[in-house]
Amino acid sequence: MADLHLMDAFHVSGVSVRYKDKTAISDVSFEATSGEIIGFIGADGAGKSSLMQAIAGVVRFSGEISYLGQSYHSPKEAEKIKIHTGFMPQGIGLVLYDTLTVDEHLRFFADLRDLKKDAEFLAYKKQLLHMSGLSEFVDRQAMNLSGGMMQKLSLICALLHRPKLLILDEPTTGVDPLSRLELWEILRNIAKEEGTIILVSTAYMQEASKMDRVLLFHNSKVIASGTSAELIDSIRPFVYEKSLLYKDENSLNFDETSYSLTPLQSALKEPTLEGLFFVNALKENKNIAEFVINKKENDEVIPEVVMECHGVSKQFGSFIANKEIDMKLKKGEILGLLGANGAGKTTFIKMLLGLYSIDEGELTLLGKPIKSGKDRQELKSKIGYVSQHFALYKDMSVKENLLYFASMHRIDKKAALSRIALYAKELGFEEYLGSFANELPLGVNQRFSIAAALLHEPLVLFLDEPTSGVDTLARAQFWQILGKLKEIWGISILITTHYMSEAQFCDRVVLLKNGQKVADDTVINLYKRFPQAQSFEDIFLEFYKEKG
Amino acid sequence: MKSLFFAIVFKELKSFMRSAALVAVVLYSFTIDIYVAGEGIDIEPRNVAVGYVDNSGGGISKKILSNLHSPEFVAPVQFLSQKELSNAIYNKEIMVGLVFDNDFEKLYREKKNTQLNVLLDATSASQGFTTLMYLQSILLSFEDIQIPLELKIHKLFNQNSDNKSFMALSELLSLITMLVVILTAIVFVKEKEDGTWDIMLLMPIDAKLTILAKTLSQVIIVMGGVILSLGFVIFGMFDTPMNGSFWSFIFLTFLYTFSSAGIGLFVAAIAKDVMQVAQFSIVIMIPLIFLSGAWTPVYTMHPFFQVLSFFSPLRYYIEGSESIFYRGTPFLDLYPYYFGVMILGFILYIIGFKKIGRLF
Repeated sequence: MADLHLMDAFHVSGVSVRYKDKTAISDVSFEATSGEIIGFIGADGAGKSSLMQAIAGVVRFSGEISYLGQSYHSPKEAEKIKIHTGFMPQGIGLVLYDTLTVDEHLRFFADLRDLKKDAEFLAYKKQLLHMSGLSEFVDRQAMNLSGGMMQKLSLICALLHRPKLLILDEPTTGVDPLSRLELWEILRNIAKEEGTIILVSTAYMQEASKMDRVLLFHNSKVIASGTSAELIDSIRPFVYEKSLLYKDENSLNFDETSYSLTPLQSALKEPTLEGLFFVNALKENKNIAEFVINKKENDEVIPEVVMECHGVSKQFGSFIANKEIDMKLKKGEILGLLGANGAGKTTFIKMLLGLYSIDEGELTLLGKPIKSGKDRQELKSKIGYVSQHFALYKDMSVKENLLYFASMHRIDKKAALSRIALYAKELGFEEYLGSFANELPLGVNQRFSIAAALLHEPLVLFLDEPTSGVDTLARAQFWQILGKLKEIWGISILITTHYMSEAQFCDRVVLLKNGQKVADDTVINLYKRFPQAQSFEDIFLEFYKEKG
Repeated sequence: MKSLFFAIVFKELKSFMRSAALVAVVLYSFTIDIYVAGEGIDIEPRNVAVGYVDNSGGGISKKILSNLHSPEFVAPVQFLSQKELSNAIYNKEIMVGLVFDNDFEKLYREKKNTQLNVLLDATSASQGFTTLMYLQSILLSFEDIQIPLELKIHKLFNQNSDNKSFMALSELLSLITMLVVILTAIVFVKEKEDGTWDIMLLMPIDAKLTILAKTLSQVIIVMGGVILSLGFVIFGMFDTPMNGSFWSFIFLTFLYTFSSAGIGLFVAAIAKDVMQVAQFSIVIMIPLIFLSGAWTPVYTMHPFFQVLSFFSPLRYYIEGSESIFYRGTPFLDLYPYYFGVMILGFILYIIGFKKIGRLF
């Protein structure tokens, strides 16, 4: 039996992946045994996907991976274990074909794997369909499935051949919380019943507790590993209640917490997994700048109600993207628009901005009723917008981009240059001014995009998923900036996000579900309404369960 | 407003210069591609492979064959049977086969109805039929028939019947269309893909102005290429005659590229990504080129297509350019072409503005 156990063991030793002159992940070693769920947690670009691809045998790597008594060092050598592995790449519905039905997908993937369609297979298929809750939808085409259903279908397609090693790259990102729970349920079952080793990456810290072991990724390295509880314990001595008295390079404050390598006066506080990234940054002696925002140059009167809409609806063909949404954005307020992918967040923001037409409903922006595009002309100089994926010109440097946008706002060159220099200093991207937009780390890109949206000193900011894929530290810094903008500039901010944990930074949150508004309240009130909720994630889940 | 407009134009030109691949494509297209088109495409017979089967015993047949010499023909190859000759034609080794029957010489000497059988590979149509005409005139001169009529030909507009410069010019005109449509479409679609287009729409500048500035930048790039091509290839290599005014041609080209950029704008409005630009550009441009008269004169088309051809801006451009180069039509007399191009361009821009250039 002991031998068999050894045979089953999965080893990764000293694996690195390099692309040209860039190291994607360096020197990772870990092992796993049958039935274990190993989680990869970290930001975009931290190296999770590269390591998964190396293990799946789809990219070249250095080091050794061994499994089932066979070791491999290259994609070619990995061929022999591919019959035992299942791989699901990142991106919702990426492996699916729009016009094939659920059942056709299962048959297609079975044929690809050359599976015999005997009674045992049919029974297993039925079990998978049941487990994923797709039994009733076997005849539905993939393009008509929700994001959560697509991910469940992709997952069971990867499970058809009963892999012994399952590699899942961010299967839950952007998926609604209920589907996420269901996905985890399937994974736990598979690990238990089939003894499969499951490697799964995620952008959500909260999912760490569902994993047997967690590897934390940061800047192409694994910075910590262990169970979620072990990891939290490891930073326990460094986490305190917020302390403003004492500050040096060994400490930093974020939100209601202080992190410090040297002992502080204030009381110790229960740490979170996010804290690991802060403590790691302190240990690496990285300079985490506090951002300073100066007063605006031009003072303009901001109306009490910045945006108000009633019964706003949008339909694309037969798909209802937004249904009768009422919303109000007040002066000096950060309003969080939360929801899963496909809940209608981006569509709603684009309607507010006039990038999409409003099918039905009324909209008032900065006190002006919007009837057509003409009404927006004079408002353009008062609105700032950061789009999903930080839209910037890739073939121009940061400085050239900013100067170009400034010139579009008719800011004269001298004023623009001084403002750019100021923002670059305040938001900490001075050293990147000469770099091209596509060479920047995502976190820097994010700050520079917001600088571009602030150049003309707008009265209101619309931000579409500005924190998606950005690492914990950069996200924390970003929220700090938003908080200061609100405080010092007094502007209103409407921001969308699929990270439920970010609700705590908003004055008020609106939850969207399938294009409809299901909640609109302050975070405190929502916690009062659901006293048993541990986190905002739980509250969101309640809303998903509530109305089917 | 003016400075904003030129800020956009300037930025687009800078972006273009930074893209080594695009610069290379444009340079290649306007120089080597046009040179190759002029030099390489030839509809006169050159190096035509002739095979023959001679059952007549030689004499007259040899005399006829001796007229088939280079550069038009390679030395005729003899085959022993008609079957072998047919096979050779089938295998594309031989383009024209001549079969002299065994009574060929006898009948000819008796001045009876003599027959020379010609097997012709008609898949190389124009070369094949021009070869046939050569053969006919060889036979006629061989006969030395005297008829009291002679054709006295005065070649107009292209005195040397110079096919090369004609082909090069046609290629240039088609190329201008292709490049300006694709370059413009890519500029807009890339912005749509990257999301910068949304940002531009929200800038306090009229989106129509942004669109015009961006298309103008691509027009400038193509005009630069046209001048390069005219200087080095059209005038430099091929010595194409220019009977009209150089500036009329530049003016017409400017109007034309600007309206064709409208096609690019239209393509960008309906395409989701660069891949679709390639697909839509081909679907839209092939009929435009077919209908323009670039490949067959408009008057030979079906009446229905003749009507449709009014909607191809390339038609006005080709007719206008040929008038300038070969007929030397004065500047002002070219107004129908200017207007034709401008009206179509105007319609395309209105559609483009509506499709991608506005907020709701």
